[in-house]
Amino acid sequence: MLGKLDWSAIPFDQPIPLIAGAVVLVAILAVLIWVVVKGHLPYLWHEWITSVDHKRIGVMYILLASVMLLRGGSDAIMMRIQQAVAFQSQGYLPPEHYNQIFSAHGTIMIFFVAMPFVIGLMNLIVPLQLGVRDVAFPTLNSVGFWLTATGALLVNLSLVIGEFARTGWLAFPPLSELSYSPGVGVDYYAWSLQISGVGTLVAGINLVTTVLKLRTRGMNYLRMPMFCWTTLASNLLIVAAFPILTATLAMLLLDRYLGFHFFTNEAGGNVMMFMNLIWAWGHPEVYILVLPAFGIFSEVVSTFSGKALFGYRSMVLATMAICVISFMVWLHHFFTMGAGPDVNAIFGIASMIIAIPTGVKIYNWLFTMYGGRIRFATPMLWSVGFMVTFIIGGLTGVLVAVPPADFMLHNSMFLVAHFHNVIIGGVLFGAFAGFEYWFPKAFGFRLDERWGKLAFWFTFLGFYVTFIPLYIAGMLGMTRRMQHYDVAAWRPWMLVAAVGMAVLTIGVICQVVQIVVSIRNREALRDRTGDPWDGRSLEWATSSPPPVFNFAFNPDVRGEDAYWDMKAHAKQQQLEHDRPEYQDIEMPRNSPTGFVCAFFATIMGFALIWHIWWMVILGGIGAFATFVVFAWRDHDEYVIPAEEVARIDRINIEERRRLVSMAGAV
Amino acid sequence: MSDQAHVRTEHDLAPGEEEQHSVGERVIGYVVGLALALLLTATSFFIAGTDLVWQPSIPVALIVLAIAQMGVHLVFFLHITTGPDNTNNVLALAFGLLVVFLVVGGTVWIMAHLNQNMPPMDQIMPMRR
Repeated sequence: MLGKLDWSAIPFDQPIPLIAGAVVLVAILAVLIWVVVKGHLPYLWHEWITSVDHKRIGVMYILLASVMLLRGGSDAIMMRIQQAVAFQSQGYLPPEHYNQIFSAHGTIMIFFVAMPFVIGLMNLIVPLQLGVRDVAFPTLNSVGFWLTATGALLVNLSLVIGEFARTGWLAFPPLSELSYSPGVGVDYYAWSLQISGVGTLVAGINLVTTVLKLRTRGMNYLRMPMFCWTTLASNLLIVAAFPILTATLAMLLLDRYLGFHFFTNEAGGNVMMFMNLIWAWGHPEVYILVLPAFGIFSEVVSTFSGKALFGYRSMVLATMAICVISFMVWLHHFFTMGAGPDVNAIFGIASMIIAIPTGVKIYNWLFTMYGGRIRFATPMLWSVGFMVTFIIGGLTGVLVAVPPADFMLHNSMFLVAHFHNVIIGGVLFGAFAGFEYWFPKAFGFRLDERWGKLAFWFTFLGFYVTFIPLYIAGMLGMTRRMQHYDVAAWRPWMLVAAVGMAVLTIGVICQVVQIVVSIRNREALRDRTGDPWDGRSLEWATSSPPPVFNFAFNPDVRGEDAYWDMKAHAKQQQLEHDRPEYQDIEMPRNSPTGFVCAFFATIMGFALIWHIWWMVILGGIGAFATFVVFAWRDHDEYVIPAEEVARIDRINIEERRRLVSMAGAV
Repeated sequence: MSDQAHVRTEHDLAPGEEEQHSVGERVIGYVVGLALALLLTATSFFIAGTDLVWQPSIPVALIVLAIAQMGVHLVFFLHITTGPDNTNNVLALAFGLLVVFLVVGGTVWIMAHLNQNMPPMDQIMPMRR
């Protein structure tokens, strides 16, 4: 009846996950009760859960990423403490628990923090920058978000019901095969990634279509803001690479569920095929994450330097070059697998070549800053911090791209330090820069600068204190994923890293405090003009937060930096040009499709993990029925009357006139 | 969305949005496509079982027929053309082909070189007692 599920699935003998799970459960229940008692449930349901507005979905993506960042961060803290104390002792985490923690940390940080964070920012900003009303497929967008949330839910469920994978974040066979991992851990891993992978693919298709097909008048490809270009490149990579992940995990699941032999040691299977395929997805994946971050830095650096982006066309070229070359380097993740010098040399050289377009980008940002009037607001601090940090990470990357060096450093703490260096220094700093930069656009008030700067400095310093020791430990021969060790030379570095982790934690706390303080002071921090940073692209041309239709009129674009041009024009003429007649606007209707679909997907995923076959069928039928109901819908748009559009738009125009006349007076 | 209609330039249409041909024309297109697809499929089955052609050439012939089949599907069912309204679709196809070529070609090459650093099997066997 319930497959493999029984009371032994709940880890009564392990206090840490049980207490953590109980605390989270109580917190969720408390929030739910508060929502219901206060009567917020209808608001949440109509305005957020069923929303197909790209801005709301973007905000929900970022919220999911932030919550998961706290979860993944707690895993990191536990690991650093374990390695600090587990010198010639077992530490406080038993091996099977420690293995689950590092697997969950990697899985969560990549799939449920970095991915939703960048997809959320792209969702929120790209339609605004393109000057359009929504993404190409609004309801599909909501489905994508909720499926991602399903994956995150399943991973977290494994904390209290059953166990998570103990195989590392990519679940290499033969360890992840049934004979070595008979528990449900790997199934939790694989099914949550399969479900959230569908969500990611849907988001990718949606954003590619949006950039290619929905641009406002005059928005040529070579007038698009840099963030739109990196979004295009990143989502092309999603569309091309995620099917590889899906296929690979499907093969692993066939091995585990139906006795296939794709990756087994016996019966003609080949484990190396798994490494090959998973990295053919895995390397493009890191560019999927970092390209949007590059776009964010481009926007931030040019805005806060008060200059157009230096070398715009070379930046476009570099972005697209990275997009293609990222598919030519995957073997560098397994140089030590046994391939000959020809193969290793070619992939080593390709990996070094990718440093060239990245270097072009760094120089472009530096030249953008050169001669500009730089304002060191929080987003700019994150950007400059990124440049310094990412160069170090990039250089160690070029080092491990040299096959002979890689044979020494493979699977060592040096590698761990390298990829944290580029992912934290690149993706996370980018996500934070984007968060600080576009927060006023999303919510209508700025974030507190003092706490933001504190958060930056603690995170920045904490990062170095944590990860430079890991580089050194790696050079001293320490391998990754060690539950305990006996080498005295590594001990001091592990202690320093633990101190660094504490500093990083303070940085995270500062960020939380920043949000709380800003919400309390929101009246003082209110952004009435919609353009708090003196921005250059079209998202600043509408109010903060933007109306549901984004723009009363689709803006006319006449060059790069569209909004900067408009402002220059308006200042010359002392007022904005006259508006033509307001017209009715049709917007997509909200739809519970995404939420209902994800609800059934959750049931199906859980049932698949525990082999509860009747529930699998139930979930599958439910999800399919949801799709059918949506496909046969009668009307999916509603009309905002012209008077309403006019009323909303006039408030925005008044504020803007005031801004322009003030600027004119100065 | 009313004023999004003229946001698109005339030559920039999504698949399924092409200018209105008459129903008859479209039906003929699909029928021709179906006939070609069936013909190619039938030929494949015929060639696989025949001894009318030189035996070792059969796999090559099947590959050629398969590629022709893809072409038929792209042209008649997915409406890929060389017209200016199809630039995005052609570029997307090219990108897809490039990625497939890189991943499949790379995989074949990598897997063929998997055991380069292994000693020859006849030297390993005596070591196992």
